[in-house]
Amino acid sequence: MKRIVTIALSLKKSDSAGFWLVSPYLIFFLLFVAYPLVFSFILMFHRWDIVTPMEWVGLKNFERLFADPLFFKSIFNTFVFLLVHIPLQIIVALTLAVLLNSATKMRGLFRAIYFLPVIVSGVVVTILWQQLYAFDYGVLNTFLTSIGLPRIPWLVDPDVAMTSIAVMATWKNVGIYIVLFLVGLQTIPRELYESASIDGADTRKQFFYITLPMLNPTMVMIVVLSTIGGFSLFIEPFVMTGGGPMQSTLSATLYIYNQAFYFNHMGYAATLGFVFALIILAVVLLQRKLVETESVS
Amino acid sequence: MSDGPFLSLLAIVCLAGLACVPDEKKLGESPSSVIQLTYWPAPNQQEVQLADSLVRMWNRMYPAVQVRVQPIPVSQSTEEVLLAAIAAETTPDICSNIWPGALHEYTKAGGLLPLNQFADFDSTATLRTPRELLNTFRSEDGQFHQMPWKTNPVMMFYNKKLFREAGVDRVPRTYSEYLAIGARVTRDIDGDGRIDVWMGERDIRPIWWQRLFDFYPFYIAASGGQTLFRQSEVVFDNDAAVQVMAFFRECYGRKLFPLTFFQGGDPFLLERKATHFGGPWNIATIQKLAPHLEFGIAPLPVPDNHKGQVYTAGDYKNIAIFSNTRHPREAWEFVKFLIKAEHDLLLLQIANQIPLRGDLLTNELFASYFRQNHAMVTFAEQAVYTRGMDSAPDLKEIFDVISQEYEAGAVYGRKSPHTAVQDAARRARMIIRWNQ
Repeated sequence: MKRIVTIALSLKKSDSAGFWLVSPYLIFFLLFVAYPLVFSFILMFHRWDIVTPMEWVGLKNFERLFADPLFFKSIFNTFVFLLVHIPLQIIVALTLAVLLNSATKMRGLFRAIYFLPVIVSGVVVTILWQQLYAFDYGVLNTFLTSIGLPRIPWLVDPDVAMTSIAVMATWKNVGIYIVLFLVGLQTIPRELYESASIDGADTRKQFFYITLPMLNPTMVMIVVLSTIGGFSLFIEPFVMTGGGPMQSTLSATLYIYNQAFYFNHMGYAATLGFVFALIILAVVLLQRKLVETESVS
Repeated sequence: MSDGPFLSLLAIVCLAGLACVPDEKKLGESPSSVIQLTYWPAPNQQEVQLADSLVRMWNRMYPAVQVRVQPIPVSQSTEEVLLAAIAAETTPDICSNIWPGALHEYTKAGGLLPLNQFADFDSTATLRTPRELLNTFRSEDGQFHQMPWKTNPVMMFYNKKLFREAGVDRVPRTYSEYLAIGARVTRDIDGDGRIDVWMGERDIRPIWWQRLFDFYPFYIAASGGQTLFRQSEVVFDNDAAVQVMAFFRECYGRKLFPLTFFQGGDPFLLERKATHFGGPWNIATIQKLAPHLEFGIAPLPVPDNHKGQVYTAGDYKNIAIFSNTRHPREAWEFVKFLIKAEHDLLLLQIANQIPLRGDLLTNELFASYFRQNHAMVTFAEQAVYTRGMDSAPDLKEIFDVISQEYEAGAVYGRKSPHTAVQDAARRARMIIRWNQ
């Protein structure tokens, strides 16, 4: 009996200590995950402009969503961004990583230079690129006209603007993916290249038959990370174009932000956020399925 | 039952009530404890200067009630700042930059004090503003939450020198005339392949309030004074709106307006555009920053088949007292002080803006001002033919929708003007339905 009491007491003490140890995470979770999640769920069935009391509207927010062409446009734009950004990111990052991996001199300096945009504030980078992209007096168009080429409407043509933003986002983020590819490249055993070289494989064949297949796990990780980053596209269109021209750069996150903080439609924004989260979930599940298939194969 | 306690209570209530009524004499008495009021004017230079002058006068006259001027914190729009202030309960006591289009949001949030609770509201307001016009500022609940203060009719400024240089000797009155003159005025002067002088320019970004200076006043002009709503119903999907959209499409399509926005200064002041759609506040800016600029003012161009008076939109700005003021009566006295005739004269002299008074062109007090500032007579005359903003929910988003469709239909021409107007009206109805 005495032994049981001792065990119970020690368990209790241990529980209490454990509870205190995890409490920072618990508090964080309750404040920044559970509470916003529950509150957002409640908001979906209300109209609330922050200022006046919440008003129950039932499924009205969902009715509006399905009749709102701008939401679907913003989802479409986000996918356009992903379609341009992810392949571009992979091609540029991989090319630079291969070059940096083979460089013998000043390797560290170049790595630092390519990583620099990653640590610079997104707003600063965006304002800088806004000056580069300016139609009449931007650096890029001034250069183009000086060599006799026509100006490109980088940010003022609805067909070009999202691609321009994707190029800028690639420049901003490529450093981190270069590092990831470099890590991947350095884990490939040198013996594979030596063996292939003895068998007569040239550099091109070595790249396509050794480097690329061996980088597959890194590639998958980069696709997943780029997808997640792409879905949260916000700063670039917010600062550069405000979502224009003709909503061609209006990302889903920017549209949700506009509804919440520009028009004060908190309930509708929560509904948009919920549906957008479902879409992301579907894409992530699809990717997971592809990754699992890859592992099995 | 003895009436003693009841009568005593009544006497105390009456005395307390009397003590709370600060007539001008009481306001002027030497202070035992000074009441502080905060007044937010619009953050532009002229209105801050006007506010400073008026408040200095007030503070000298009424030491017991001291007013502090604090320009509205700069943001993308005053309405955002005021709504945030209402939510955070950090509003001032008085603000003189109340846009009637946002009144629905402010009153819904319970942010404004009904001014008709003051016994002398009606006499004060009608002494200055004709009753018919005053009634257009009544809130949906039948109360008055704003004191009509000033309006800024949107009209067309034109650069006389640029017109002269292009051989133009008349002011365009119709769309055809505007486009024909535009073709002559818009040109590349130095031969570098870039247009140096444009007929006009508008900010092409779909910012909702930008449409208050192009689509909306042009729509009011083309429709003979109609606004966007009639009895809470969206009614702007009509020929007038399509004509306006088509007119701006022509301006961009014929390259009379640039498909970019200028950086580095106001193109009208820099004489890089020949026409500008703006209000009387532009006069002070031109006189200060470009004193040699020769300009004229004319009504907005209208469709070729237009008949009758040319209306326009007025950017009304009114005065309101916020409901969290601790000194409503003193605030009301200050509002009355702001709208005195001699202070309306200061509004004209310092800010070049039109006070909302019925006797503006007949009162001797203003006669010398209008003799010296003939350009302002044009605005004063137009003020009668000015329309404001409907009281409707989510006007900001509705104007945002119009901006997007304007961008598609006029700026880029990706939709026909008719489709753009129809789509804008359909989406506006969706927003109104969602709000019901």
